[in-house]
Amino acid sequence: MKKKGVGIANMWYGIGNTGLPNPASAYVELLDDGTAIVLTGCADIGQGSDTILAQIAAEELGIDMDDVALISADTGVTPDAGKTSASRQTYISGNAVRFAAREAKGVVIDEAARLLSVDPEKITLRNKILTAEGTEKSISLLDCLNECRKQGKLTLGHGSFNPEVIALNSETGEGKPYACYGFATQVAEVEVDTETGDITVLRMVCAHDVGKAVNPSNVEGQIEGGVSNGLGYCLTEEIVVENGVIKNTDLATYLIPTSLDVPEIESIIVEDPEMTGPFMAKGVGEPALIPTPAAIANAIYDAVGVRVTELPVKKETLLFKMLKKEVS
Amino acid sequence: MVENRVVGKSVKKIDAKEKVLGTALYAADIKKKEMLYGKILTSNITHGILKSINTEKAKAVKGVHAVLTGEDVPGLNSTGMIIRDEPVIVKKGDKIRKIGDTLAIIAAETEEIAENALKMIEVEIEELTPVFCPYEAMKEGAPQVHEKGNILSVRKIIKGDVEDTFSKCAAVVEGTFKTGIQEHAYIEPEAGIAEVVGDVINVWCCTQNPHMDRKEIAANLNVGLQKVRVIQTTTGGGFGGKLDESVQIHLALLAKATNKPVKMVYSREESIIYTGKRHPITMKYKTGCDAQGMLLAMECEIVADTGAYASYGPGVATRCAVHATGPYYVPNVKITAFCIYTNNPRSGAFRGFGVPQVALAHESQLDMLAEKIGITPYEIRIKNALRPNMKTATDQLLEQSVGITKTLEAAKTRAEQLLKIRL
Amino acid sequence: MNTINISFKLNGKDMKMEIKPQLLLLDMLREELGLTGTKNGCGEGDCGACTVLFDGKPICSCLALAVNADGHEITTVEGLGSEEKLDPLQQAFIDEGAVQCGFCTPGMLLSAKALLNKNNDPSDAEIKRAISGNLCRCTGYTKIVKAIKKAAKMKEV
Ligand code: FES
Ligand code: FES
Repeated sequence: MKKKGVGIANMWYGIGNTGLPNPASAYVELLDDGTAIVLTGCADIGQGSDTILAQIAAEELGIDMDDVALISADTGVTPDAGKTSASRQTYISGNAVRFAAREAKGVVIDEAARLLSVDPEKITLRNKILTAEGTEKSISLLDCLNECRKQGKLTLGHGSFNPEVIALNSETGEGKPYACYGFATQVAEVEVDTETGDITVLRMVCAHDVGKAVNPSNVEGQIEGGVSNGLGYCLTEEIVVENGVIKNTDLATYLIPTSLDVPEIESIIVEDPEMTGPFMAKGVGEPALIPTPAAIANAIYDAVGVRVTELPVKKETLLFKMLKKEVS
Repeated sequence: MVENRVVGKSVKKIDAKEKVLGTALYAADIKKKEMLYGKILTSNITHGILKSINTEKAKAVKGVHAVLTGEDVPGLNSTGMIIRDEPVIVKKGDKIRKIGDTLAIIAAETEEIAENALKMIEVEIEELTPVFCPYEAMKEGAPQVHEKGNILSVRKIIKGDVEDTFSKCAAVVEGTFKTGIQEHAYIEPEAGIAEVVGDVINVWCCTQNPHMDRKEIAANLNVGLQKVRVIQTTTGGGFGGKLDESVQIHLALLAKATNKPVKMVYSREESIIYTGKRHPITMKYKTGCDAQGMLLAMECEIVADTGAYASYGPGVATRCAVHATGPYYVPNVKITAFCIYTNNPRSGAFRGFGVPQVALAHESQLDMLAEKIGITPYEIRIKNALRPNMKTATDQLLEQSVGITKTLEAAKTRAEQLLKIRL
Repeated sequence: MNTINISFKLNGKDMKMEIKPQLLLLDMLREELGLTGTKNGCGEGDCGACTVLFDGKPICSCLALAVNADGHEITTVEGLGSEEKLDPLQQAFIDEGAVQCGFCTPGMLLSAKALLNKNNDPSDAEIKRAISGNLCRCTGYTKIVKAIKKAAKMKEV
């Protein structure tokens, strides 16, 4: 018989290293023609940080995505941005890039303020136009850059960011391990075959608080990939070690999810703005997979009344426990 | 508020075009003139002492340009992201602590020559009794994986009084949860290529942190940081597994020794055997709540097996402890997280850093309590979820951007629509 | 060492090669011809990163000998589209965010191409089956399936 069940699981995840300094830095150069180069040490490993950081620079500089060239992760050229880990790059490198862009922008803003005879605070840069708020006065970014160059002013910026944390007390653990946290809730619907112990995950509903989704499609991509990772972790993936020796050293015996294993994934982006984040963003890379095994485990219990206590969930164990429950 | 023009938009990924065209260069795609191929000889025993190593025959093979052993590492001959406890190449007289510890590295004109030459290296190893179970390893008298003992780190979080509180709880549940070892299984196995240009050593590799690679290479080659340039190539996934050093230091050593470009690409098997994994963790949990389902106390003991080397182990165990309560307000906690050395494969960073493991435990415990008290899993979660101006187990006051009640509500609403159920 | 002469069509062009009999198709493409768009993720037929089209059918080039190409037609990702003229599949992969690390992408595209060549309106289930031999660790496949579905509906771009 096939039995369906639904399970729910929450998670939280501190963004950045735990109670330790973990700064990132970046350089931005606004070029003569209003395009820009961003230098960041941040390594994009496929998750999309290059795109996210370019978006942040473009937004801050009031220019288009196509105007930004980004060079990342070359120690000969780019400043240290720390590790691509701990779901930290959007938050930490994102801030570093934003501050670098802001510093470069500061030069044209000051220049525009001088040219338009207003306070620099009144100047906004958007869509390649510098406008004096509350007036009709404006100057194009291109003209303003031109004026800067005439005076020998380059438009460069450096930015760095180190989240505010307090180391944990070694006896009580008291401290401020992270400047901010990502949160998520996932709901799993599963079907358990009571004869074979086969578990099929039918659907995952995943709501993630990311502060602000810099790129919603990217956030979804992280959630979908994370869920797939979590699904494998929960049901099929296990490195078998006997006396220190790994027994399954290939992808035929170590089973990661294929296109046929991944269920319908419904992503919901929740934005509870993080005041210290770049455009209020936090992170999502790891949160995506954290609640998945727990949600599936709770759904299995809902379906057949057996509590999952070990990952991955083995069919035989599940069947055995189901039988034991029936007997008692 | 002015609307953003770029942030918040699903703009196309800037590297997608070269990836769909197949022109993006991953490390294995790079070729250089007169390039050599690197290979490593690794231990196939779990615990022992390298008594002797003879590379003469391997060196004599035609087409072999260098065979390096621990003696040939000019710098620290150690690596490790938190603690320098892992040899780059095990030196004669030193310890082997797991399958896959490097004993020698070779650069040759073809991969085939390198592989054949590897077989000609003669090693003598004195075997030691290994320890594979972290609980055994914690005991007095267990085989010692490292000199300082097998307990690598202990992280405690203590708040209030759990013992006293448990006695006043309306419901208390207990359980032990165990998780297995997960492999990152990025589709791109580790690869890199190194070349000395002038007096700068360039290393192109897949990595999650080129600046850390630079530090590790410089320390082991005994050169200034300015003499090492690490350039990340398009990287085919990482998930934490490309944070530790893999090919980087070995390549730099070989390029320096041969004065030729050297390339190394792990096979899938090598990738699985040599690189870190997700920590297997055992968690003993006890959680109590009042008659309404409000959490009052949580106690847990977490034991993470980091294998033969620390890698990110202490960080993972700390993260387990900090996140052990889940996103809930729990006034009384007693959490202890141990990170333990064994002779198992090394575990390190993996997407989630210990938190998926504890999530299984705390989320199961919440459901168990809800059932006892007679409320739904959703109710117990929404009641206890952290909100602004509440404190975490580490006594951190959360001031803003605490979205857990919002994600709960959003997930509930959508799940009820899609699954046609009541949560 | 003895060698064999083979001739075949590669990405629409006639090719002649003198090769060692035991050379793998994957190695011929990557090492001899410099077509590094085809990836090696396992070398054992498990991941699909090395997928190329052999007379229009997807095969793992890590399991095929180069000599088998003799008299046949091989298509790699380099033959799918160009900088100026992307294949609809390539465009859809970009548009739908179906590419993360990109290591599975070339193989994935070719498996999808083979499917669309014989079925221009595949269902989700058909798409999933067609790419089930191509492992992707990053995306969870969701956006890849969407992209393939979209490409099926797109005219040549
Ligand atoms: S490389 Fe051919 S299937 Fe993996
Ligand atoms: S995009 Fe990374 S493996 Fe598919």
